[in-house]
Amino acid sequence: MKFSTFEYFFQEVALSLRRKNLMSIASIGTVAVSLFVLGVFLILVLNFNRLAGTLESQVQISVYFKDDATAAKEREAAALIRDMQGIDSVHFVSREEAMNRLKERLGDQKYLLESLDNENPLPDSLEVVVKRPDMVETAAKAISKIEVVEEAKYGQDVIEHLFDITRLVRIFGLVLMILLAGATIFIIANTIRLTVFARRKEIAIMKYVGATDWFIRWPFILEGMVLGFIGGILAAVALRSFYAAMAAKIYGTLTFFPLMPQYPFMNYVAIAIILSGMAIGTLGSAISLKRFLQV
Amino acid sequence: MIHMQGITKIYEDNGALALDNISVDIEAGEFVFIVGASGSGKSTFIRLLFREVLPTDGTLIVNGVDVPGLKKNEVPAFRRTLGVIFQDYRLLPDKTVYENVAFAMQVIEAPRRLIQRSVNNVLDVVGLQEKYKAFPSQLSGGEQQRVAIARAIVNRPSLVIADEPTGNLDPETSWDIMDIFHRINSSGTTIVMATHDKHIVDTMRRRVIAIEDGKIVRDEARGVYGYEV
Repeated sequence: MKFSTFEYFFQEVALSLRRKNLMSIASIGTVAVSLFVLGVFLILVLNFNRLAGTLESQVQISVYFKDDATAAKEREAAALIRDMQGIDSVHFVSREEAMNRLKERLGDQKYLLESLDNENPLPDSLEVVVKRPDMVETAAKAISKIEVVEEAKYGQDVIEHLFDITRLVRIFGLVLMILLAGATIFIIANTIRLTVFARRKEIAIMKYVGATDWFIRWPFILEGMVLGFIGGILAAVALRSFYAAMAAKIYGTLTFFPLMPQYPFMNYVAIAIILSGMAIGTLGSAISLKRFLQV
Repeated sequence: MIHMQGITKIYEDNGALALDNISVDIEAGEFVFIVGASGSGKSTFIRLLFREVLPTDGTLIVNGVDVPGLKKNEVPAFRRTLGVIFQDYRLLPDKTVYENVAFAMQVIEAPRRLIQRSVNNVLDVVGLQEKYKAFPSQLSGGEQQRVAIARAIVNRPSLVIADEPTGNLDPETSWDIMDIFHRINSSGTTIVMATHDKHIVDTMRRRVIAIEDGKIVRDEARGVYGYEV
């Protein structure tokens, strides 16, 4: 395609957007809002994934001994575990220490323990840390087979819970995204249809003088793309502020929450959002042309 | 230039028989009037030539091209060998005279310098070089039609097809337009013109093909209109 042709196309697009500025603003606004919501879900899903990943990588295995286990047997088991593959460290926690930790954690509610009449129902235990998160499950299984071990637990419940939430957010987000994308495509298709209608004379003349179908289509496709692009930029800017505000809030209250650092994460989100906007715009145009432009 | 053999056109939507088994040949360089009452089929005859409509049956060769056999993507290249002019000019209101003519070259992606030279040239031919900056709304009907003619010939077609080009013009202006057509024809371009302007046809004394009820009823080398208006 020649440069002058390209120039001509862009002039046509600029002219068309200016001519129907209200409709153009409405389409850009719809694209921006849809992409913003899409971006919020993208940010949520990615952060939940990261949280799950972080928790997974921090897990340690709590190994509880049976009540009748002797100190010698427990030492033997600890040594056995230390020799297993992929084990980083093994720390012994006596039942007395465990009770002290519990009292500490209960704080003001220590009275709850009074009903125990100074009996200690807690077992001796080991805190086992593995070298790599994917070894946790295997290690826990192997440890639970040792005779004096009552139970080997790791944070699988929490992680599974988190994955459930992530999955929910993802499904909900996906459904919402599809609905919004559909609405946006519809709005853009409608805008382009107006352009096609406004230009039907021009299109007819182009056909008489021998313009190819694609030469006729390009300005319309470009118009959709430009609408999506501008909407995408607006959404990306809004998302940036949204994420900065969200990060400030979360760091102020939930300090442990491993939020995605703003950069370069938000740059990637912005690129994804703008590209989605352009794709949606192009699709909207294409649908409109297919239905309304008989070339 | 044009070879029609057994051309029949039945419109699918209403089943109307517009052309009924007509055969005609038009040689390169000819100036041909197509005459007939409204609804006689002369409009269909014209529209077949630039593939606005397709024949239901028959052979149609224009410029050596089998028109009904063209694939959809071959139509633009075919149309570039033709110039088409309508009764209602069909100019773009928001483009200047110059831009309206240049438009025909832009869409076929001609180089900018060639566009400039050719447009100035044809505006000279139709006598509008002074008004190249004007918009169609600032022009008279005759001037608008001259812009349309300039647009039709700017790509140097070997065949110019005109559908009632003087239909909206007063007699004097019509003669100006006919003078331009005459000059275009003198340079070797074939012209096929549908008209019901008795005065023009009778004065020019060119080949006349008369169509009635979808049939060619008369084909004379130096004919006259032959109907009472």
